Amino acid sequence: MLANLTSSERQNALILAGGVTLVGAVMAIMGRSDVLGVHGVIVMLFGGVVSWMVMASFYGPEPAEDRAASYYDDPIKVGIALAMAWAVFGMFMGVWVAAQLAWPDLAFDAAWSSFGRLRPTHTSGVIFGFGGNALIATSFHVVQRTSRARLAGQVSPWFVLLGFNLFCVLAISGYLLGVTQSKEYAEAEWYADLWLVIVWVTYFMLYIATIARRKEPHIYVANWYFMAFILVVAILHIVNNLAIPVSWGHAKSYTIWPGVQDAMVQWWYGHNAVAFFLTAGFLGMLYYYLPVRAQRPIFSYRLSILSFWGITFFYMWAGSHHLHYTALPHWVQTLGMTFSVMLLVPSWASAGNALLTLNGAWHRVRDDATLRFMMAAAVFYGLSTFEGSFMAIRPVNSLSHYTDWTVGHVHAGALGWVALITFGSLYTLVPSLWKREGMYSATLVEVHFWLAIAGTLIYVFAMWNSGIIQGLMWRTYTEEGSLAYSFLDSLVAMYPYYIARAFGGLLFLIGAVIGCYNMWMTVRAAPLAATRAADAPVLPAAVPGE
Amino acid sequence: MDFSYETLVAFSKSWGLFYMMGFFLCVCVYAFWPRNRKRFDRAKHSILERDDTPWQK
Amino acid sequence: MPELFHRKLERSAIGFVIAIIAAASVGGIVEIAPLFTIDETVEEAPDMRLYTPLELAGRNIYIREGCYACHSQMIRTLRDEVERYGPYSLAVESQYDRPMLWGSKRTGPDLARVGGKYSDFWHVAHLTNPRDVVPESNMPAYRWLARNALRTDDLPQHLAAQKALGVPYTDEMIENAARDAYGQATPDTEFASGVTERYGEATQVSAFDGVTTQVTEMDALVAYLQILGRLTDAAYRDTAATEQPPDPED
Repeated sequence: MLANLTSSERQNALILAGGVTLVGAVMAIMGRSDVLGVHGVIVMLFGGVVSWMVMASFYGPEPAEDRAASYYDDPIKVGIALAMAWAVFGMFMGVWVAAQLAWPDLAFDAAWSSFGRLRPTHTSGVIFGFGGNALIATSFHVVQRTSRARLAGQVSPWFVLLGFNLFCVLAISGYLLGVTQSKEYAEAEWYADLWLVIVWVTYFMLYIATIARRKEPHIYVANWYFMAFILVVAILHIVNNLAIPVSWGHAKSYTIWPGVQDAMVQWWYGHNAVAFFLTAGFLGMLYYYLPVRAQRPIFSYRLSILSFWGITFFYMWAGSHHLHYTALPHWVQTLGMTFSVMLLVPSWASAGNALLTLNGAWHRVRDDATLRFMMAAAVFYGLSTFEGSFMAIRPVNSLSHYTDWTVGHVHAGALGWVALITFGSLYTLVPSLWKREGMYSATLVEVHFWLAIAGTLIYVFAMWNSGIIQGLMWRTYTEEGSLAYSFLDSLVAMYPYYIARAFGGLLFLIGAVIGCYNMWMTVRAAPLAATRAADAPVLPAAVPGE
Repeated sequence: MDFSYETLVAFSKSWGLFYMMGFFLCVCVYAFWPRNRKRFDRAKHSILERDDTPWQK
Repeated sequence: MPELFHRKLERSAIGFVIAIIAAASVGGIVEIAPLFTIDETVEEAPDMRLYTPLELAGRNIYIREGCYACHSQMIRTLRDEVERYGPYSLAVESQYDRPMLWGSKRTGPDLARVGGKYSDFWHVAHLTNPRDVVPESNMPAYRWLARNALRTDDLPQHLAAQKALGVPYTDEMIENAARDAYGQATPDTEFASGVTERYGEATQVSAFDGVTTQVTEMDALVAYLQILGRLTDAAYRDTAATEQPPDPED
């Protein structure tokens, strides 16, 4: 990996890694009487391993080729590997916590393995570990190809990728140790948050500098989505995580936002993390890999622009629909509901645009499981955005809120949309990056597709059922006018669905493991693309085994 | 200057709406401006062109 | 010339960045900014009391163990919720809560007003193994809480940080935070009287986990659970609720 760096760049990399090690040492000393010390040691180890890797090939030969004449793909390859590793970890944690809800003794009486500590390892593992690494890797790929320019840095892409993974490691090890801010999807504590700001600013600078290298005045729309993802996530992250630590030696901090303000800021963040992390970034993937794989231009470029601004504008208003009927002022709830419903327009415009792009290439969707991943993703995107707008309507929300319906909705989006579009994009990207004829096994892609679809459907149907039953039981009255069911009655009714949900998740996990194996074998054993100099995906006809 | 809660709410409700309408007018103008048509067409076809190297100055 | 060409491209990229910020920031500003003046609309609660150091430590354990993932602390303004859990939650009740723990999911019941509904003994038994008390429960067991000694030496720093953010802890409270945490869990000692002196007569001083030889994390968590919904009577005064707040003495 270092063969592409000049000796002065290797020096810079070593200084950076050494600096991180030093910061770790300071954290370890400052926080020696707190869990912060443990994290200091983890940072030191991380910095140390990277330093060691840089030093190991420090005196290797200088890069011979003219680097400006080729794309910078090494960080992308590592990013894909990390994304898949996190996928397996995060989904395994998901299956485990799902099983704990049905069989609570699966926590084995330890502190670190109880539901409350494991749950954020699942959410952060899949959202940030899997989703984040996939976004970084694909954004590096898309920005280079659409700008026809090499990444505007040699060390900074590694800094972004590895720095982001350090954040993930700190966040997730923290939850196991009991370090959490309790803000959903922003659980990591102040020092990890500060670190992420540094990484994220670098990411933004790198991205914009690469775009500025392009020849064409127009920026391709996929980059718009990636830029919105990078920028808005930075704003959200900083505002939501403003906090003061108990001391420099404590992992614990107190947020500056109290009570109702905190609730509004948290769900402004929480909902827009969905919007800009889990939607905008992945729409960037969709707008590049779907047309490329289908070998058809996007149906309507104008529509993609209109829906881009619609999503960027509307989403920011919608967060308060998480707080219907609470102590939040009523007008804020109403605004949130209104904009959530309006959001359906740009969301369906995107989903429709994707499906209409495929119109006329349905035979390819039938034959090519990779393209089918992306088509199914667009369908699930349409379904879950409809569901989301529906659930944001106050009376519907009065039934669905606090129940498993919300969990089902999130997973319709996360499994059906985010994960499927990612797998589709990675199956397109992996053979092209490693210059293979195609994936090692088209059959395994097919198997993965059906496992993913079956897993998602089982999961979502189980949660719809349990959520609606739960919501109805809570509000059912007897003829005498008293509540018909105790809370416990509603819990007992949930058990069969909790088991079904864990099974659905397990299928999805198995699919991801098969995907890892297939990608690994593609890199190891698939035949090289013979004379194909072109950097385009293989047409389905050329995929062996079909 | 001290803003009361009511003023802020009224301001948010009215100007937020105008801002949104103005913004969307601009976006529509941009998307449907005839001169931009060629640029968009080139963009949507450009990603399908096969290339393996960055452009060189 | 290529230099100029390049700068123009950069300008268009930066203009684009500004457009994204202009589009994305307005929604948040409109909804969040007015909340800074919310004091004008929040209910009055002159009787609002502060979390004692032990309760604050318990609250941090509640956060640490992720209890908020399954229990909400926000009773909505719906008939069935008010009948099941008590008067609906008011904004003022969480005015000192950093972070708020309203929650988003009820795998278990709402806890906004659980304080005083069960005895300390019930809570300890339930946390030790929920299925001993509620056979159908799927809540994890938290046996180790009763074994872990509570860290109290840094409580003054915790209170000072809260004070810096605007929670009205006095210097005396900060200074005595560690003593008070110990005192609240050891009734009939010299330390106990200071707690009621500083935090009010209504403060529950009790050997929460039944053992007074050391203050454990179990003590802190139960102390916190017992104060939930009882920092102020505002909800019983300002909503249509007819009930009275639960009293553990009953």
